[in-house]
Amino acid sequence: MNADSRKGELADLKAQLRQLAGSRQPGVEDIKRELYKKVISYMTIGIDVSSLFSEMVMCSATSDLVLKKMCYLYVGNYARGHPDLALLTINFLQKDCHDDDPMIRGLALRSLCSLRVKNLVEYLIGPLRSGLKDANGYVRTVAAMGVLKLYHIAPSQCTDNEFPAMLRALLLNDPDAQVVANCLCALQEIYTAEVNVSPETAARDREHLLSKPVIYSLLNRIKDFTEWAQCLVLDMVSKYVPSDSDESFDMMNILEDRLQHTNSAVVLAAIKVFLHLTISMADIHQQVYERIKAPLLTLVNSGSAEQTYAVLSHLHLLVLRAPVLFSNDYKHFYCRYSDPTYVKKLKLEMLTAVANETNTYEIVTELSEYAANVDVAIARESIRAVGKIALQQYDVNAIVDRLLQFLEMEKDYVTAETLVLVKDLLRKYPQWSHDCIAVVGSVSSKTVTEPKAKSALVWMLGEYAYDMPDAPYILEGFIENWIEEDSAQVRLELLTAVTKIFFKRPPESIKMLGAALSAGLADAHQVNWIHSSMEWVNRYLFLL
Amino acid sequence: MQVHCRESSVQSSRVSPSPLAHHSLHFGAGAGAGASPICAPAAMISQFFVLSLRGDNIVFRDYRGDVSKSSAEIFFRKVKFWKGEEGEEAPPVFNVDGVNYLHVKHSGLLFVATTRVNPSPALVLELLQRIARVTKDYLGVLNEDSLRKNFVLVYELLDEMIDFGYPQTTSTEGLKSFVFNEPVVVDAARIPSLGPAAMFVQGSKRVPGTAVTKSVVANDPSGKKREEVFVDIIEKISVTFNASGYVLTSEIDGTIQMKSYLTGSPEIKVGLNEDLTVGVRSSAPRDFVPDYSSGNSVGLVVLDDCNFHESVRLDDFETERALTLVPPDGEFPIMNYRMTQEFKPPFKVYPVIEEKGPFKAEVRLKVRADFASNITANMVILRVPMPKTTTRVSFALEEGAVGQTTDFKESTKVVEWCCRKIVGGSDHVLTAKLTLSQERNVNIKKEAGPISMTFTIPMYNASKLQVKYLQIVKKTKSYNPHRWVRYVTQANSYVIRT
Repeated sequence: MNADSRKGELADLKAQLRQLAGSRQPGVEDIKRELYKKVISYMTIGIDVSSLFSEMVMCSATSDLVLKKMCYLYVGNYARGHPDLALLTINFLQKDCHDDDPMIRGLALRSLCSLRVKNLVEYLIGPLRSGLKDANGYVRTVAAMGVLKLYHIAPSQCTDNEFPAMLRALLLNDPDAQVVANCLCALQEIYTAEVNVSPETAARDREHLLSKPVIYSLLNRIKDFTEWAQCLVLDMVSKYVPSDSDESFDMMNILEDRLQHTNSAVVLAAIKVFLHLTISMADIHQQVYERIKAPLLTLVNSGSAEQTYAVLSHLHLLVLRAPVLFSNDYKHFYCRYSDPTYVKKLKLEMLTAVANETNTYEIVTELSEYAANVDVAIARESIRAVGKIALQQYDVNAIVDRLLQFLEMEKDYVTAETLVLVKDLLRKYPQWSHDCIAVVGSVSSKTVTEPKAKSALVWMLGEYAYDMPDAPYILEGFIENWIEEDSAQVRLELLTAVTKIFFKRPPESIKMLGAALSAGLADAHQVNWIHSSMEWVNRYLFLL
Repeated sequence: MQVHCRESSVQSSRVSPSPLAHHSLHFGAGAGAGASPICAPAAMISQFFVLSLRGDNIVFRDYRGDVSKSSAEIFFRKVKFWKGEEGEEAPPVFNVDGVNYLHVKHSGLLFVATTRVNPSPALVLELLQRIARVTKDYLGVLNEDSLRKNFVLVYELLDEMIDFGYPQTTSTEGLKSFVFNEPVVVDAARIPSLGPAAMFVQGSKRVPGTAVTKSVVANDPSGKKREEVFVDIIEKISVTFNASGYVLTSEIDGTIQMKSYLTGSPEIKVGLNEDLTVGVRSSAPRDFVPDYSSGNSVGLVVLDDCNFHESVRLDDFETERALTLVPPDGEFPIMNYRMTQEFKPPFKVYPVIEEKGPFKAEVRLKVRADFASNITANMVILRVPMPKTTTRVSFALEEGAVGQTTDFKESTKVVEWCCRKIVGGSDHVLTAKLTLSQERNVNIKKEAGPISMTFTIPMYNASKLQVKYLQIVKKTKSYNPHRWVRYVTQANSYVIRT
């Protein structure tokens, strides 16, 4: 739709709405509904329909609930940007706040609070106050959240009218659990923000919120709350410090069955409480871990991939705290064919974290399978994981064999990753050089293109020049291609390697050293630090 | 959440705390935050929107007005051009310029929430998943088309499900009294035949009606509401075989799902196998040592662990293995379970990969259906990655093969063999002759495989967990609603290494 026809369309809509505004014909509501729908659909796709504001408001003097709700939606969307127009809506919204139908009262109050217009706040206080006292739970639910909305528009007017105190009373006494939950959200947010205004009062209020009576009144009716409100309550309970270990056990008993919930958020929130309650009880940590392990493993695969990701992220933290915990369950973290990359990556991290002397062989065998995988990203990560495990463990014998097998696979990216790892391993375990070097020497230098891998290879050539008969000649090949080499890292590494090899096998490398030095110095676009190290090498050599 | 920290700090121009960090299991997390003792509450989202896979805004709701309206565009660009190697997918949680984006994929749509605080990621992801499910309950079918046709109804739902960014009620039943728009039902016949409705189709026998795709509020054209309840036992199996055909790992992730169209909220009792054992369960609440001993008992079905829906009462679970509940409207899982006890894999695959000269090789696949002959598996697909140097593949199916197709994808070098139906007890063979562009220098076996397999087997479950009875408390003598108990097993990750 181009701009002109859109303008025409809007004018058309405007005219039609204006015409219908006063009409009381039968069937007019249906026509209005269609028009409203059109307006809302424009709004959704981002077309500005605020020019219809007054017509929309005029048409909303209706008893039709569907129309009313669409109008509320429209008003809520545009009021903030058009405060003058928003004033038009106050009248009918206030009237609806006194409707006989509690649902209309609730809807109107919610819209009224969602206008987000500062100079209309005065019209909000009255309806909000009666809303909090409404006989209907739904209206009170809306009102509790309304207080928070008011606080965001005009904090001082909210606190001056004692709204937080009213919420506190409802928090303890309201029969409707959702009202309690909304009071809790509102109070937490308000107190957090008040810390900057009046720190002392806020601290006292906060203490009250985390006091034993409040916590227990929430805990004792935990099952009345929706699963989302349960998470909220559990999150707050996790900040409560029990007076002794008996109290901790009591609370855990109350929450024990939350670990069997199908909603992973509830289970994770409950686990957080368990961990916090037992924070200073080192002797039962192991028992708590054992208790939460099975529910966590169940959650890993019971939901969508996204949920798996969230749960695995938590497991990963847990496993870093207690690596032994999952050392027998490592198979749960084997990648599945159907897992998306982000889950596979996390699983690889888990496998790296749980690897120990007893399971390393199995885990590395599994990782080696992934290295041959078609999924290149995962293949790379798997090789890195093998390397990480190798660096962690004492017995790297089998792992080194695996890494060398990778080199034999002759896949560019596998070779590249493996070279980097072999280099790291050799730096930590020089005693393995004999086995590794023979294989590294056989790698065709032409297949190595990635700068990191190239640097690794060049380093090994320089370092182990005695063990690799071909080393000077392979390096020579690299020097000849100096011009095509873009990576400063590789050039620097080459320079070092050539210098090193010169001391080890001078007759074979003197020519190459000269070539390297002149190539390096002649290089126009070289990075400064190559240049300076070049000069350093040069001077050093002259001294000899 | 190490992974995420790293990613987000690379991603965002301003380094912001990982969205997952707040809800970390770290003991220190709460204690360390002494400066601001009450953190913002656990869940608070700023916006919710639904995007099509092309990035079109289908539904957009701003709850708090503290995130820019262009967030949907920023989000989509990030997801579409996710950095990294070779076709990586964006993780469900990431951070751009101080805004956390959380999303789930559902029915070919992206359900997204944005927030500036650090919520519990599990909570937001569960919430998005739930919004999708509730929407599906109301629309019958969830896709781009049905959302566009019903967006006003969707806004009605969203208004009640979330207020000022905080989740309110998300029960399909509880929302009924707030929804006034009639759903415009999208033609169910247009759902691809592999959709959830077709999952249970066994041969030509079909569960009557389009029950699983019907809205909870739409009226039946006949004006009469059909009293019925569906209980589905859905098992996803993961098996990995090593090159010698032995099972390396196997796991079953099962769900007992219920969808009720019963009026008057009658109580239902679902009876499971009486000899069912749940492996890890501490009976005394104060005693946190799990009781492993029961796991070794002779029980036929041993679950590692399970969890239950909120509405389920477990009064009779210990004694009779029965779940009691008053089912709310809509579709929901009554129980999830996990089993690592050994079971018989439904399919065995015997691959033979041979060299046939310098530029030739042959791959022979034999599939055996290891289940009863009165059961038929649907859409059995085997995928075999071939050596990179493969240029041409010619296929030879067995004689008299029906409903089998083969394909070789040049770009990915993957051979795909699809059998529409496989009857229990039967064997099928495919021979693929490869032409290679280079003389091989390594073992061909290392370059082909691993074989992965997908399938759906209706009326079959690997775990042997069963719903023995489904009692509905009768209101009157003539009250006899339809009860459907359906089983289905699907391959989650079925891999045969070569």
